[in-house]
Amino acid sequence: MFKYIKTAHMSCLQETNGGVLYLLPDIIIKICTLIPLVFLWKVVMSSGVDVGMTMDQMLTYTYVGALLSDMMVVKTAATGWLSEGVLMRLYGRPLSVIGQLIAQTIGGWIPMLLLFSLPMALISPVIGVSLLPASPWFIVSLLLCISLGFAIDVLFACLSIKLRNMSWLISRIRAAITAVLSGTVIPIRLLPLGLSEVMKYQPFACLGGASLSIFTGAGDPLEILRLQVIWNIILWPVALIVFKKSQEGMVSYGG
Amino acid sequence: MEGKLTIKRIIGLFSISAKMDLMWLLRDTKFAIVAIIADAISNISVVSGVYLIALRFGGIGGMSVDEILFMMSYSTIITGLFIMFGASNNIHVSRIIGRGQLDHMFIQPLSLKVQFITCGFMPFTGSSNFIIGCVMLIISAGRLKLNITPWWIFMLIVYLATTMVIIFARAYLVSSAAFYAPVAAEEISSTAIEGTWQLSTFPLSGMPYFIQIPLLTILPEGFMCWFPSMCLLGRPPLNLTGLYPLIYALILSLIASYIFRKGLNFYVRKGSNRYVPYGFRR
Repeated sequence: MFKYIKTAHMSCLQETNGGVLYLLPDIIIKICTLIPLVFLWKVVMSSGVDVGMTMDQMLTYTYVGALLSDMMVVKTAATGWLSEGVLMRLYGRPLSVIGQLIAQTIGGWIPMLLLFSLPMALISPVIGVSLLPASPWFIVSLLLCISLGFAIDVLFACLSIKLRNMSWLISRIRAAITAVLSGTVIPIRLLPLGLSEVMKYQPFACLGGASLSIFTGAGDPLEILRLQVIWNIILWPVALIVFKKSQEGMVSYGG
Repeated sequence: MEGKLTIKRIIGLFSISAKMDLMWLLRDTKFAIVAIIADAISNISVVSGVYLIALRFGGIGGMSVDEILFMMSYSTIITGLFIMFGASNNIHVSRIIGRGQLDHMFIQPLSLKVQFITCGFMPFTGSSNFIIGCVMLIISAGRLKLNITPWWIFMLIVYLATTMVIIFARAYLVSSAAFYAPVAAEEISSTAIEGTWQLSTFPLSGMPYFIQIPLLTILPEGFMCWFPSMCLLGRPPLNLTGLYPLIYALILSLIASYIFRKGLNFYVRKGSNRYVPYGFRR
């Protein structure tokens, strides 16, 4: 376990190797997107249309979603591992490849959690957003969301192995699909035309949107947790089997 | 030496880029089609978010659902133009600077300016969003029963060109950092462009002034689709003149040009240390 903690630590340091200053543009962009987004929802929700969520719930949903965005839809280095020379590092160490990917990813979250999420959480009362979870089941749901996120990420990584030099395109399509289907940008229950009923059972809906629904009290925790557990049970074995079969097909051309 | 730069010569340079794009499409059709689909899906996911909210709530901040559709079509056309004219990192110019690839451009018998303008043209594989945006625009204009006159079409073209100038100018302004910090700032144009793409689709109508004004001054996100769309709908926001985006584009371009030239002078004197002798990038 110590080796994985050390890997996470190295990954954390790697994010700030060039100096914390170089993370500033990303932090500014995140803040400049989050604050107008909060006000966009204020404008939208003040129209008075009943969508089964109060304005406070919606603001909390948006705010927490932004603060924990890296965990809501997990993205590991495997996305670009064929073109960025990540493979050499992963296979050159006496550790599990997937274990390393998980440790690296979690370590990489820490700088942004400290430099963006923590300060924004502290000033949330000024913006008028409550960050108290409606249910303690949120923690369990978040862990299941992260776990499922890693499984989905491994499957996309296997797809990039299968399709060889299409990692960039796969990454774009994946970002687009998860943005809509995960409910992290727009809660799935707010989708019009009956889409919400159809969409809530697909695996992406068990990512960030599911945990945020529990956090804000906008969903039934037991029903959400049941779906998250089911998708974890289905997708993890599939991911491991597909990954095992895909490994020999890896062709890396980057560095 | 650079020959005389005429309109014919510039069209010829665009044609070279277009020909290479067509060759890619014909030679590697499967990959090119996946790229076209990826572009379309990526944009649809961004604009559909705002549109679905408008549909669910019957509009946003005083803008009707059809007006939001019109605004999203403007955004889609801009995305299309961006992809169609910016395919060779010529808008993500910090990558070219940061990777030391400006040296490759110095040996061409063309000025940097002409190369940057013409080298990223991909009309065959990069036009999907432009076409989708035009179709959306026609549908939304029809639903809004807009009075389409030659003057209105002219102003549409002017606003589209202005938005593109603002995107170019902002990208070149922030990319100037890559002259001084090539590794750290290599991807700064991506942060400035892709990082703010979602923000640029927000309809700012109904938002408080302290949100609207910074997005029309400090950051140019209000010009990416909201302000020009409102002008084309005949309701310039905040009692500003419809010429405000043009004035903003001019000022931003002048600032970007000044800062970029300073950075270029620095680069010419110091060079780039990104490549090691055996070819790898540091």
